[in-house]
Amino acid sequence: MIRFSERNLAPPKQMRPVYAVAAGQSDFRKRYPGKKTEELAIEAFRMLALENGLKVESVQELRSYIHSAYYGHFADHFGDQLLGEAQIHDRLGLDPLANAGIKTGGATGGSTVWMAANAVASGYSDCVLALGWERMDEVDTRTGNHYIAAAADRDFETELGHTYTGYYALMAQRYWNTLGGASEAFRHTLSKIAVKQRGYAWSNPFAQTHQRITVEDVERSPFIADPLRFYDACLMSVGAAAVLLCDEETAYKLSDDPIRLFVAAGSHTLRAADRRPIDIPLLPHERNDAAILQQYRDLYGDGKERFPGYTGFLAARMAAHYAYGMTGITNPIEELDMVELHDAFTISDVQTYEDIGLRPYGSGADFIESGDAYHTNPLTGLPGRCPGNVSGGLLGTMHAIGATGIMQVNEILWQLQGKWAHFHDRPELWERFGKTRPDDIEDLQIRGARRGMAVSHAGVGSHVTCAVLSRPEAILK
Amino acid sequence: MSFTFDNQRPTATVVRSLHPLVIERPRSPVHIHSYGGETPFFEGLGQGRLMATRCDNPACTEAGAAGYLFCPPRVHCPDCLERMTWVDITDGPARTAKVHTHICVLHPGAFNRLPTPSKLISVEMEGVITTLMSHMRVGVPVIGMELEPVFNTSSPTFTILDLSWRQRRAR
Ligand SMILES: [Zn+2]
Repeated sequence: MIRFSERNLAPPKQMRPVYAVAAGQSDFRKRYPGKKTEELAIEAFRMLALENGLKVESVQELRSYIHSAYYGHFADHFGDQLLGEAQIHDRLGLDPLANAGIKTGGATGGSTVWMAANAVASGYSDCVLALGWERMDEVDTRTGNHYIAAAADRDFETELGHTYTGYYALMAQRYWNTLGGASEAFRHTLSKIAVKQRGYAWSNPFAQTHQRITVEDVERSPFIADPLRFYDACLMSVGAAAVLLCDEETAYKLSDDPIRLFVAAGSHTLRAADRRPIDIPLLPHERNDAAILQQYRDLYGDGKERFPGYTGFLAARMAAHYAYGMTGITNPIEELDMVELHDAFTISDVQTYEDIGLRPYGSGADFIESGDAYHTNPLTGLPGRCPGNVSGGLLGTMHAIGATGIMQVNEILWQLQGKWAHFHDRPELWERFGKTRPDDIEDLQIRGARRGMAVSHAGVGSHVTCAVLSRPEAILK
Repeated sequence: MSFTFDNQRPTATVVRSLHPLVIERPRSPVHIHSYGGETPFFEGLGQGRLMATRCDNPACTEAGAAGYLFCPPRVHCPDCLERMTWVDITDGPARTAKVHTHICVLHPGAFNRLPTPSKLISVEMEGVITTLMSHMRVGVPVIGMELEPVFNTSSPTFTILDLSWRQRRAR
């Protein structure tokens, strides 16, 4: 479909408010032979139940509130176990409540939160569990890369020996040579993203890596698929994440500080080859901005560059369109105080800044270069305007596919509740994960944050969800 | 035609570790996969033809009205869902092919059959609305390079690998 009707584009509605109330996660590791997936799911659920200050005494008491469960797990073939959802549901002791598995590639976690939120918004359930996991350590990395690439078109693309790094390398190449001006400066911007995210992962006890790197390290790391290098690519992880969603009454029964949640989604072709050029669907703040409209004419006019082509993600633009319509956001850089983006690759982070309107198409690098994307702006030493991926993101902390979009929501929930330190700076938590809390841990609480958005993203942009979390007093509409 | 499935597992279990107990679970299934209605495309490659499809439905307001070609082909129009018409584009649009974007893959996934490093390209062609994913066996791609198709007609693999591209020579 390349023409959209008013009905197609209508802002999504919640029939009643939805609240995110509590969250939990396992730690994330490249290999986790010490624990079965079910054990990791239970760790995430126990943290959710017992470490979020909920007004319940036990797991059993919390379970008495839950009405249905939504499970995110993408790649059955990694663990060679079909219908793992039923196994996890049983281990969590939630039989015989209803449950369903959700599967949308890299966006699986985000889609799981989306489905769970819809169950509350519709009135079907007052209290639901969204829990996701992935187990990617049973096969070697080459097989793993092939398994993931099987989520591209098997006949036309996977067969070429493609990997997901390859897909994003095609995008990086095109972006770099067109919108990126073929400049070394753009390479440095990508490197700064890799450094920034890993820098934040340093202070995250859940993170798979704790490694300080420099721009030079990134640019000296080996090519995986030229022009993308080792440090441009995200991690592959084992782990689980969970979030509890409720209607208003249940939310306040369980918590003194629940956070409003809105989730919207978009999609686009699985084969990037099949993206037909269209006019850029404009976000509210772009519609009357003469400078932005001129920039789009300069970059895309006369067939100079295709939209979305290999440089943008229509699914992300659509998810943002729906999410902003749903929440009343009119200019995301003004109204969002933090974002957690699907930085599967450094290039896709830049592309997403543009898709969701933090910068116009063609200007994504400025989100980094201006310092806006940092917790503390390196140019001014002042708080960053809209910190991105202070969790450490997929580049530094984890990509356990079914859990990833949930981890992003959790990070924003804890930030908006002022609980960053509780979930990142407790020595006991570091010890639980077999680590020592670093002496130079960075306080990454974003002070005064009212709203944040998590973007969960699949394939080469086949599915994208935007989850907006807002403090209840900061609701825009 | 008959198919035999023989996926017997060895009787001995390979133990990788005792605490925790970690074992090997072998798996090497063969999938019997059909190209269905897309058969003309994969059949064509081995016969030196690049096949695309076009919506010829006069009532179609999107792809049909625009009249452009799809390659990769689709059996049905994505807009009106009517069956599309097969068009041989070997001597037409394929002669206008250019590199849209490209990469060099140094670490391919398992089961890769191309020589590494492999040069993957996205191909744009005049009158074709899509950008076909393919590869170059000879030469170094750059964005905008003019291409001509090369077909593996001598020993077709009946996969997308039967098509590759090289820099177009003056005709
Ligand atoms: Zn049609």
